[in-house]
Amino acid sequence: MSREFLRFNLNQRLQHVFMFVPFIILVFTGFPIKFPDSVFGGWVFAFMGGIENARFIHRIAAAIMIINFVYHVLYVLYNLIVKRAPLSQMYLLPTMKDARDIKTNLRYFLFLSDERPKFHKFSYIEKFDYWAVFWGMFIMAGSGLILWFPVEFSRLLPGVFIQIAYIAHSDEALLAFLAIAIWHFYNVHFNPRVWPANKVWYKGTLTEEEMEHEHPLELEEIKAQEKAEK
Amino acid sequence: MLAMIYRSTRLSLLGMLLTTTLLGQQQADAENCYLCHDLPMLGVSSTDGGMRNFEVIAGDYEHSTHRNVICRDCHTDINEFPHPEEVQKVDCGKACHITKPFALTGYSHTDQRDSHAISSHGQNPKHSDEQNAKKPDCKYCHDNSFRNEILEDDLSKHSDHCLRCHEGEGLAGVILHVSSHSEHRSASASIRIVELCSSCHADQSRMQEFDVNLTQVAGYENHFHGKALKRGLDNVANCVDCHRNHLNLPATDPNSSIHANNIQMTCSANTYCHSNATARFSTAAIHSEPTPADNPIPFFVEWGFILLTAGTMAFLLAHILLDFGRWAVDAYTIRRKR
Repeated sequence: MSREFLRFNLNQRLQHVFMFVPFIILVFTGFPIKFPDSVFGGWVFAFMGGIENARFIHRIAAAIMIINFVYHVLYVLYNLIVKRAPLSQMYLLPTMKDARDIKTNLRYFLFLSDERPKFHKFSYIEKFDYWAVFWGMFIMAGSGLILWFPVEFSRLLPGVFIQIAYIAHSDEALLAFLAIAIWHFYNVHFNPRVWPANKVWYKGTLTEEEMEHEHPLELEEIKAQEKAEK
Repeated sequence: MLAMIYRSTRLSLLGMLLTTTLLGQQQADAENCYLCHDLPMLGVSSTDGGMRNFEVIAGDYEHSTHRNVICRDCHTDINEFPHPEEVQKVDCGKACHITKPFALTGYSHTDQRDSHAISSHGQNPKHSDEQNAKKPDCKYCHDNSFRNEILEDDLSKHSDHCLRCHEGEGLAGVILHVSSHSEHRSASASIRIVELCSSCHADQSRMQEFDVNLTQVAGYENHFHGKALKRGLDNVANCVDCHRNHLNLPATDPNSSIHANNIQMTCSANTYCHSNATARFSTAAIHSEPTPADNPIPFFVEWGFILLTAGTMAFLLAHILLDFGRWAVDAYTIRRKR
């Protein structure tokens, strides 16, 4: 039995679950409206008992996702301010090393070198996923709330914002869906080095071999720390 | 939810009323026109060289809106038997023998005809005779189909639609409405109205001739109301809810329901619509495709998102393909080496 390294604690894993379950529901209840002629969308709405039910479910799922996002921001702030975690341990912040990693990886992809980039806790791929969702939350929740309460928002904003929200909600939804269905699913499922699935989202831990492979710099740091403590 | 139960109870009441009144209807053919018009495929060659079928299928007529109106109430120039081959076209503005409930005056469609006459659909001296002839008259939209049979499913859909306007009038209003038959009996479902208007307005060459906005129908279908309607939400604004049923006027006309001064009232006119609509809410263009000239901000937001999506996905896909390519080549060469 090889050693297990904690990557995501239960709290963080649940945040992921409370993000992707509403996400899937939002896609199923939203896309039949984005594509009102699609036959598949008709089946989905028929299964849900009509567009009015689908709209209701969409808003419930949206509320859960927004609450989860607010919780996540508070969780990060709590760790920063109350628990005084140093900024250097905010491993998701983009650094210059990410640019170098992209360059190294592209050279590797193009057979210009056999060297693969060595990642710390989060690769630039994972950082992209995180910040894409972060940006997407503001666009989707902001525009979604305007569409949910158009008359109320029109007391604060000019009418053109309703149109902008309509465009932004519809277009960003497609981008988010494509990014998840293609990019995220490739990186955590269909990538032959990962296939059939990266189980860390529910296990929370990685084995030593996985650590060596995917997060060698983090493993080095952990081992160095342990050595220093001995 | 309570409102839904209340509604469906009223619906079944309405259904019962409709069926009982049908049983007690008066004889429409008091003057025995069916003597001839009952003959199957009663044909007359028309002046344009075709054959026209003048058979009136009694069972169908008796299910139509005008079943209580005797033939000569509309075909007023027929005064002898047998009547001449050429008879005048029906004028919907004529009063007929149906009396308005409580007012006891003869019922006619003059209000509707007069509104239509001054609307965009009315005869306009600025247009050529040919163009004027292309405009829809009463009968274009009100096709007065004799095959207007009452089907249980349709009835529930249609009465749902009626209740949108008559909700405020309570059951008494609905009874009056059903018993009188003097107003429209079967208001069409929203989707039928959109189909009807689209039969001309989706025709680009036809609209170009009258210098009418070409993106109306597509714009409607791509926005809130049209999409919801396609997915089966009937109580959504259809064409006539905002543009009126007879007094259709362009937005530039101060009397128009969609003129800048009136649009807020139009959005908020009905309780089932945006009853608390603000002035700014009502300025949101609801079914024009944005262009850089008339609506630049949404236009550039749209293009910004298209570029963002295309750019991001191009980068991500390239990354995936390169990654997979490297893995595949490595896997193949390692196997070969073994």
